[in-house]
Amino acid sequence: MANEKKSTAAEAVSGFFKAVGGFFSNFGTAVAKGNIFVKLSLLWWGAGYIRYKQYVKAVIMTVLEAAVILFSVFFASQYVPKFGSLGTVKAEMVFNIDTMKNEFNDYDNSFMILLFSLFSFVVWLVAIVIWIKNMDSVYKLQLMEENGEHINTFQEDMKLYIGEKFHITLLSLPVLGVVVFTIIPILLLVFVAFTNYDQQHMPPSELFTWVGFSNFITLFGGGGLTATFGYSFVRVLGWTLVWAFFSTITTYIGGILLSLLLNSAKTRFPKFWRLMFVITIAVPQFVSLLLVRNFFADNGIVNTICSNIHLTGFLQDIGLVSTNHIPFLSAPGWAHVMIIIINIWVGVPYQMLIATGVLMNIPEDQLESAKMDGAKPFQIFAKITMPYMLFITGPALVTDFVKNINNFNVIYLLTQDVYTTTNQALANSQAQEVDLLVTWLFRLTQDYYNYKMASVIGIVVFIICALFTLVAFNYMIGGDKEGTYQ
Amino acid sequence: MKIKKMKDKRTSTIVMHNVLIGILAVIWLIPIVWLVCTSFSEYTGINTSTFFPQKWSIANYIKLFHPDTVAQFPQWFMNTFIVACVNCVISTLFVLMVAYATSIMRFPMRKPLMNIAVILNLFPGMLSMIAVYFVLKTFNLTNSYAGLIMVYSASSGLGYLIAKGFFDTVPRALCEAARIDGCSEARIFLQMVIPMSRPIVVYTVINSFLAPWMDFVFAKMILNAGVSSKYTVAIGLYKMLDKSLINDYFTQFCAGGVLVSIPISILFMIMQKFYVEGITGGAVKG
Repeated sequence: MANEKKSTAAEAVSGFFKAVGGFFSNFGTAVAKGNIFVKLSLLWWGAGYIRYKQYVKAVIMTVLEAAVILFSVFFASQYVPKFGSLGTVKAEMVFNIDTMKNEFNDYDNSFMILLFSLFSFVVWLVAIVIWIKNMDSVYKLQLMEENGEHINTFQEDMKLYIGEKFHITLLSLPVLGVVVFTIIPILLLVFVAFTNYDQQHMPPSELFTWVGFSNFITLFGGGGLTATFGYSFVRVLGWTLVWAFFSTITTYIGGILLSLLLNSAKTRFPKFWRLMFVITIAVPQFVSLLLVRNFFADNGIVNTICSNIHLTGFLQDIGLVSTNHIPFLSAPGWAHVMIIIINIWVGVPYQMLIATGVLMNIPEDQLESAKMDGAKPFQIFAKITMPYMLFITGPALVTDFVKNINNFNVIYLLTQDVYTTTNQALANSQAQEVDLLVTWLFRLTQDYYNYKMASVIGIVVFIICALFTLVAFNYMIGGDKEGTYQ
Repeated sequence: MKIKKMKDKRTSTIVMHNVLIGILAVIWLIPIVWLVCTSFSEYTGINTSTFFPQKWSIANYIKLFHPDTVAQFPQWFMNTFIVACVNCVISTLFVLMVAYATSIMRFPMRKPLMNIAVILNLFPGMLSMIAVYFVLKTFNLTNSYAGLIMVYSASSGLGYLIAKGFFDTVPRALCEAARIDGCSEARIFLQMVIPMSRPIVVYTVINSFLAPWMDFVFAKMILNAGVSSKYTVAIGLYKMLDKSLINDYFTQFCAGGVLVSIPISILFMIMQKFYVEGITGGAVKG
């Protein structure tokens, strides 16, 4: 897994363009050198196949072509022309003389226009790819006939799909799933980031429209009246990075230490102890975190115990607490520290499992010789164990950091409904001191329907994660090791 | 004399060592113990004065199986079970299919596709889910299991890397030999590689079965507005902690949490050793 992550975006882009280049050059030769039937296939997708007696394929391609044309005429034409304005006719009640009732006019729904236009673009893109591929394969048929080679029957062609072309059979459904449920939604939100889709512009009753980069300007602090957004963004981003850094480092080191402790020869019943720690992560997070939240509530059990042992009084005396309870999860500062501590509780057993797996494989002879040379346990840890761990789990560490930037569960389950901000500037933009960018984004969409800003934040999160991953892999680890272990 | 002193020192460090582990284990188990204890409490709200309940009873478990309008635990359990089973079948198929294609087969689009997957994995899942929510709403699929299952399983192909790492260790020569003997790629996949990879199949099955039990966010987005009888366990239990309900249902929440955790824990224990192999990938070969 770790090795795979090293493929960089740069590689992805160059590979993509190479593929595209090859694709078009094949198409060019096919158009230039093809016979009349191949050229006819430009217009009628099935033409070439008929010439070479592949009738079933000819029918399939013709039906496909017809489907694309029908789709364009009857479906796409309703939406795509309005893509530029995202609709102009507002929903209104009009009196219909025929039925003698008030009815909605034939209004535009901006969201439908955006969604279905995008859908049409994707369909057309796929159609163009099929069209070009089709030319290529018809031209190949022509070459085969000229060389007197055997031309496959339909059955033989189908057989290829469990043979040489089995990857197409395997990948088509999963790829379709990813396109529909990941790529189209991401594109949709990228588009929404450039519109004014929010609570005041909610389809179907209202229209929304393109606004260019103004949402980005708002987020980065421009635009006088809404300057609170810029302020909140800096605050939330700061905490997100602090959180991601500390949660990754603390659980990582904690996990290694715990696994060293458990796997030491001095431990009695290591399996039993390991089980005790694993139990805590086998309980679903929504149970354990919601529980912990009530455990540390303002009038919860921990506060009762603290006041019984006069810890609360002591903290009041030295001025750390101004209320008559300890605000574990309800005041800035306290909540930040508590969240990171609770996350140690959640995350260390996971890291312990991983570290155990890796540590088992440390070359025994290295440790032995170090011991014989008189190295102290700490020296062995710093000079042998840690470098080895870092080498193996370095990539996983980077992915962990990115995962923590997007760690929704811990923050949301611990602070939702418990934490209320007193900072007016943050409250104005619906943010809180303990929010991560993703929880802020979630609240903006779920409670305040501010989709435009949520989309912008989502894009920013992606850019941060992508930049971090690129930099980390290129400068920290580097190199593509796929196949090393094959 | 000197030897005895050393031995003493050694036993004392061993004792210290184990006591340290014991203390840590106790710290880690406190919330779990509290969960179990509270679930046996007679009082329905949060006990804020003592750690252990003052009066013990199993009433909470009995109440869980006699549903009222708020708590319909058996129904939630069934709902989650159905979603988990369907998701398990679809996700496992998708993951294994993608893993086989990218690991064992070689074709021109292989690298570009894998790179696209890397980039897509960097997008916060939340972001695309918000848009998916709209799309589902447009087609009236929110507050339905079909929508929830699609959300869980449709993009599951992106999580193929662990299985791919495992398939990468299948000896190439075996596949080549099968191909030379005229074995079709489909037969190599179904009759050779899959039976050889039982651990990773088990891992994938358990993992995709567990996802709906562990997940909270997506279920909340898709099912939030629905009626109580349609919730999954996660949403149902979360709603019990609503400010207006918490004093009547907190101990039931604990009982539900315990009941849900038992099967999950068992599956998790089975899966944990594959989990480690998965994360460290092909890197750990000793």
